[in-house]
Amino acid sequence: MTNWTLFVPELYTLAMAGVFFFRTLGGPRPQQDYAIALIMSAVGLSLAVWAVGSEGILFNDVYRVDLYSQVFKVLVYIGFFLAVCLCGDLSGVDENRHSEFYLLLAICTLAMMLLVSCVHLLAIYIALELSSYSLYVLVYLRKGSEKGLESALKYFIIGAASSAVMLFGFALLYGSGQSAYLADLVAELPGRIREPVVLIGFLLALSGFFFKLAVFPFHFWAPDVYEGAPHQVSSYIATASKVAAIAVLMRMVALSGGASDRLAWFLIVLSVISMTVGNLAAIAQKDLKRLLAFSSVAHAGYVMIGILSLNALGYSSAVFYGLSLLIMKFTCFLIVVKASEGGRNIDISQLAGLHKRAPVLALALLLALFGLAGIPPTIGFTAKLLIFTAAMKQGLLWLVFIAMLNVVISLYYYLQVLKAAYFIEPAEPAPAIAVSMPIKLLALLLIASMLYFGIYPQQVITLAGAMTGGIL
Amino acid sequence: MQLHAAQFPILSSILLCCLAGLIIVLLLPPNRDTAVKWVSAVCAGITLVISIYLFAAYDRSLGGMQFVERIDWIPSLGISWFNGVDGFGVPMLLLTGIVFFTGVLSMWELKDRVKEFFALFLFLVLGVFGMFVALDLFFIFVWFDVSLLPMYLLIVIWGSTAREYGAMKLTLYLLLGSALILPGIVYLVAVSGLKTFAIPELMRQADFSGFEQKLAFLLFYIGFGILAGIWPFHTWSPPGHVAAPTGVSMLHAGVLMKIGAFGILRVGMFLCPEGWIYWAPLMALLATIGIVYGALVGLRQTDLKFVIGYSSVSHMGIVGLGFATMTVDGVNGAVFQMFAHGVMTALFFSAVGHIYDRTHTKEIGELGGLSRVMPVASGYFIFAALTGIGIPCLASFWAELLVFIAAFRVYPVYAFIAVTVLVINALFILRVVQRTCFGPLDERWAHLKDMTFGLGLPRMLLVAVIVVFGLMPFLMYNVIQTSSIPLINGLTGLQGITGLLSGLP
Repeated sequence: MTNWTLFVPELYTLAMAGVFFFRTLGGPRPQQDYAIALIMSAVGLSLAVWAVGSEGILFNDVYRVDLYSQVFKVLVYIGFFLAVCLCGDLSGVDENRHSEFYLLLAICTLAMMLLVSCVHLLAIYIALELSSYSLYVLVYLRKGSEKGLESALKYFIIGAASSAVMLFGFALLYGSGQSAYLADLVAELPGRIREPVVLIGFLLALSGFFFKLAVFPFHFWAPDVYEGAPHQVSSYIATASKVAAIAVLMRMVALSGGASDRLAWFLIVLSVISMTVGNLAAIAQKDLKRLLAFSSVAHAGYVMIGILSLNALGYSSAVFYGLSLLIMKFTCFLIVVKASEGGRNIDISQLAGLHKRAPVLALALLLALFGLAGIPPTIGFTAKLLIFTAAMKQGLLWLVFIAMLNVVISLYYYLQVLKAAYFIEPAEPAPAIAVSMPIKLLALLLIASMLYFGIYPQQVITLAGAMTGGIL
Repeated sequence: MQLHAAQFPILSSILLCCLAGLIIVLLLPPNRDTAVKWVSAVCAGITLVISIYLFAAYDRSLGGMQFVERIDWIPSLGISWFNGVDGFGVPMLLLTGIVFFTGVLSMWELKDRVKEFFALFLFLVLGVFGMFVALDLFFIFVWFDVSLLPMYLLIVIWGSTAREYGAMKLTLYLLLGSALILPGIVYLVAVSGLKTFAIPELMRQADFSGFEQKLAFLLFYIGFGILAGIWPFHTWSPPGHVAAPTGVSMLHAGVLMKIGAFGILRVGMFLCPEGWIYWAPLMALLATIGIVYGALVGLRQTDLKFVIGYSSVSHMGIVGLGFATMTVDGVNGAVFQMFAHGVMTALFFSAVGHIYDRTHTKEIGELGGLSRVMPVASGYFIFAALTGIGIPCLASFWAELLVFIAAFRVYPVYAFIAVTVLVINALFILRVVQRTCFGPLDERWAHLKDMTFGLGLPRMLLVAVIVVFGLMPFLMYNVIQTSSIPLINGLTGLQGITGLLSGLP
């Protein structure tokens, strides 16, 4: 008996995709599309929240609904809803393509919801590909430049290559464990992690998620895709997609049983290179979205510290980190969307005078940047503290050092952005940015949540602990 | 043993007062500059009154931690809102209250982006007060960074000479410090095996090995020491001071650098006494180099603010030397010096800031004869200079005297070198005073008006504090020794230094 009520949020998202599919058949009605998308994603978000707490197993044990998956679904949906909120000014996408845009975004969200619930290698693969394919097209939807095409192609090629590698890893794991169910594998593999075939299988299998999370050496797509995609899609990739990747990466790493030094060493190396490369490359960037892309690479490195700690605190800190990234990165993209004109890209220098043109947005940007740099009393600091505590429990003092040095490096470029927003006056007087009341409220909400979770994170920590308790 | 837990949470109320001021300033509509200034001044006044009350009400006969308040904050990590002050914290609160109040008044003439300035200013002070009262490592780190964050914007927006360079250098250096402190904190908590970030519990229950203490102390010493201006990590400090606007320089040199020294004391020495003993010779060496270097480099400066900036490095070296002696006198002198130097530097920057506002130059060569047109303003400047060189019966004199008495016993060579250099430096400072305030008057300055009574008010307050504690040093000494005696005696005793915690349940 399949208990379909467990599947309601997913079915709803599918229905939403269906609605937009039929709307693609008619003429362009962008305003209507936006209104429908906003309402439907809001309803979907409340459904996802409603579904938190339900538990069960569906479809021949392939699909597991538990606290872990449901909370991640809420996070993914928050990323989706927020990205839709930015679509009031969707000038980066051709007017005729707006319904397709929402259609693909809904499908991608559906795929990520499936991804965080799948506990079977093949199902994971299918869900991952479904989300990737919609993103390839979404990136391509950028209006009127070859940038979109170029970055979509880059995204696709690197994505396809990493999928192939991942599939090969899955095959090795399946061969060693004689099963594609994660539940069977976790009983079999931890004891055999020292066997080369299992270890290599793991590393190859993880590469698909490294690609999603933009971990070195699978990060090369990030700057071009962030730069070339419509702002809303970049925001979606930086938030929802990252959260889903964290969820499933954690599941896969937990599969190793938490007692593998060699696997941890590989992950440590990748983490160190990711944060260093990301931070150093970000310093040289002029385009704000490219800067955010490299900062994402660096943050992938920090998240990995939590995951590779391979202990309960590490997993729950990675969840917390996912939430913090979601909020902080989205805040940055809110400013990107509002400060740019006609959906064009924005240079850091173009933020000049933001503190006068939109004081609330400037304040939100300030907090988000300090948060990304990991400075208290913002959510980003608490996330880093949790991750470092977890790593220190494993005795990784020097890794924490390297991470903290990276924090200092990253502060340099975050401060450059801040300087542009608060200090440099625009060469020619720029008009105030029209910030509508809902956007203002959204910005205030983001400010409040960045401070609240930074100062009083207890509830989230408890929730994250409960979630990751039953990770497999 | 007396418990203070049920008392009115007076330490939190200082923080809440700053926070309330900050929120009110943020909510005020733009262009209400006067209202912003008044809100800040009232808020500063309240904190000053509270800090004076705390100084008076701190029970000298009991000692230990007083006015303690504690609430669980993040139980799953063992983090609590845990505040309390001892003989080291009380003088620092008083210092912060004084410098905050006078700093706000010194910025009364600000016209550019007033609301933002005072919002950041209040935020900074919130962090400083928090740092001096917190007993939980998590909050110590949070407050430490909260007090550093606004510096970048404060300097880059309202600063002067080479402000972008100065601000970036300062921020990166200080954050590099916090990059050492955070691993140190997390390391100690992790190796203790306890689920707590509270300093008193770590002191009592954790059994850190010698190696752990040495490693962690080094992290804290360098991490906090960067902010305390310890040579060779001081290079951010003079350009930062020079670039910053007056009120910020006052807070920065007056209070923020003390946060660094206080962090070494509160976190490093309290948690890692063995590390302190082990590294003390290094501390003494670096401190002496700092004293000599700051004084000698100061000789070559032509910019008034650079002169004060380097003298700060030199004076903070005296604090370090005091700590390194590991004697009661040395620690008393060091903490006293933190207080005295804070007030003195605030007066110095305040006086120079006033001169700069009028003449738009800080070049010693361009000034001259100012005492003829601005007798009052130059008076404050001269007074600050005299305090700085340690004239007897002013607060700094006693502090330096105590440190050097202790240092001559423990490190006679260092003490001899340091005292010699300070005498040379004193002659130089007097020459600076002579060249700026006396001598022929430049035509350009002939039209300048003297300081009004209102603007003189904060400077008068600072002068009064210097004189009061110069004439009655025992007022300060009585408070500090309630903590310094248990700290030093505990180093050799069996009980360890937990005697510092008497008064805590």
